[in-house]
Amino acid sequence: MRRVALLLGKDIRALGRMPALLIALVAYPLVIALVVGLVVRYAGERPRVALVDEQGALSGLLVVGDRRFDVGQRLEQAAEVDLVRMPRAQAERELETGRVTAVLEVPPDFITTLRGLRESPTLVLRTTRGGLGTRVVEKMRSLVYSTNLELQQAYIDANLAAVTLLLRGGSGTIGRTRFSLLGIERARTRLDALERSADPEVASRARELDAFMSQLQGAVGQVGSFLRATANPIELRQEERGGRTWLLSAQVQGYALALAIAFVTVLLGAGALVAEREENVLGRLARGLSGLGQLVVEKVAYVALVGTVMGLVLALAFGVIVELGDVSGGEPWLRVPLLFLGLALAAFAFGAFGVMIGALAREAATASVVALLVALPLMLLALVPAGSIEAAAWIASLFPFGHAQSLLSAALYEEQPASTILREGAWLVGLCLAYGSAARVAARRMLS
Amino acid sequence: MPAVLLSARRIGRRFGRRVVLEPIDLDLVEGEVVALGGPNGAGKSTLLAILAGALAPSAGTVAGADPARVGWMPQQPALYRRLTPRENLDLFARLARLGEPAAAVERALEAVGLEEEERRTGELSVGNVQRLNLAIGLLGEPDVLLLDEPTASLDVAHRQSLWRLVGRLRERGGAVLFATHNLEEARRSADRLLVLQEGAVLYEGRPDGFREDVT
Repeated sequence: MRRVALLLGKDIRALGRMPALLIALVAYPLVIALVVGLVVRYAGERPRVALVDEQGALSGLLVVGDRRFDVGQRLEQAAEVDLVRMPRAQAERELETGRVTAVLEVPPDFITTLRGLRESPTLVLRTTRGGLGTRVVEKMRSLVYSTNLELQQAYIDANLAAVTLLLRGGSGTIGRTRFSLLGIERARTRLDALERSADPEVASRARELDAFMSQLQGAVGQVGSFLRATANPIELRQEERGGRTWLLSAQVQGYALALAIAFVTVLLGAGALVAEREENVLGRLARGLSGLGQLVVEKVAYVALVGTVMGLVLALAFGVIVELGDVSGGEPWLRVPLLFLGLALAAFAFGAFGVMIGALAREAATASVVALLVALPLMLLALVPAGSIEAAAWIASLFPFGHAQSLLSAALYEEQPASTILREGAWLVGLCLAYGSAARVAARRMLS
Repeated sequence: MPAVLLSARRIGRRFGRRVVLEPIDLDLVEGEVVALGGPNGAGKSTLLAILAGALAPSAGTVAGADPARVGWMPQQPALYRRLTPRENLDLFARLARLGEPAAAVERALEAVGLEEEERRTGELSVGNVQRLNLAIGLLGEPDVLLLDEPTASLDVAHRQSLWRLVGRLRERGGAVLFATHNLEEARRSADRLLVLQEGAVLYEGRPDGFREDVT
């Protein structure tokens, strides 16, 4: 172990004297963090949409029962999108140049049609083609759905008020007409009095009417719940969690960490053993100073150390973005010990893979190119959805990327990460040992 | 009868089907300087690497090749170019587990005149890199020195310094085997000449008994 430590110290000292590589290793995670940070920020950002309402159709108030709606204000203050009023010509230009992601056009008779309740007024949404267009359509659907829901609730409340008026009597408004009603309950009270009439004919008819009124009262009494149930056959209730929502961006972080470590450690590993050969020292070391096995262990440890430190810098940068930007991003600080474990295991496995490639290639330029050419498709294979191509999943499972991504994502946000960490950790340890052994065997050829 | 310091019996080497060294017997005895001649590709570097223990022979055995007792200076410098000469020597001294590595480093630096050099090895001249290459071979004050074309990149002053160093080792009872293309150098400095051609021994004997036109 002492010889491994001596060689490790030498490599770290040499790394400190390679300013270009050192700058790249420090800058690389920060650039990755910045890019991911922008993606995360964009994911939480409201799309900018032009609102074209040249006739001022949204400026009128809509009165439903005793409630007043300013539909225009409701749309403009929506959390889903950032609606900006502008003339049609400007909206067209901004849609062309991409300054707005869509144009929402309001017809001149919008509020009038809505008040009339005979047909639904139509808002027209125009978008560009592509991913942004799809996203803004989803956001606008969500906005229209939530506005409809509010209006629907107001209409139901107004109808229920009418039903109550019908049941209990009194004065009120149904639609636009003001009524003064006796009400079913008071009508039945009066029928009760008539049922006690000395005239058997009157008493009999009063009982008949009372029986009908009783059935009517029961039926009208249930109208409220029927109205609510038929308006929303399935209801989705959203409950706010304490803190931020986080699933998507924590997954992005998991991928970004695995990707960054994979690239750096595989390339560094491929070059590490080859560098000893190019310094011509393998023969000198073979004279009992360091066995090939010790050299392979040292190179894997060196690459893993660099990869782990780089991964931690990246994870800390993510944490800072999550805190300062108030964007979603898992539990970066609580999970640092788990992340550290995951990063170290991943870096060891990737490092062993890279060292094996270096031992097979035997020459620096070949090793770098082969490392890149082999690692990139293997990483992409891990992104193929599970179950779609079985062979792809098998091949990908023999490369550390998928296991590393899964472990790091679990470490970042899974509620109960232990089983994932144990399973994927075991895979990474196994792959590290397998690739390390292969590197040791291949390294023999480097001595000849 | 001088003691044998390093003894090789029937050592040979092949790379795949290509034979680069036919089976050879060789003894190096105390107080002896042996020159190893022959054209490029004759097998000189391979023989030296096998004797140094840097390359395993395909056949035969080497006795007395303890790295602590045998110093080796390969033809191509074998060192770390991002470390200074002192850092290089310190690393190899510690890897070899020499007692008092700091003192061994200073002695080796002094022997090749690099004790004042603080620049990284990659910034040194070819000659100074070769001197450091020799210094690494001198670590631990070995009894046997195996030198592969040691004067190839050295100026006159440092060649003389090298031969003085070889002379001191011979006086101390050590042995030196050096590869060279320079027959005059072999005649001047060696007690015995071994000439290889296509991996086989072409001549073995006194340096002045060899006619260069044979090769």
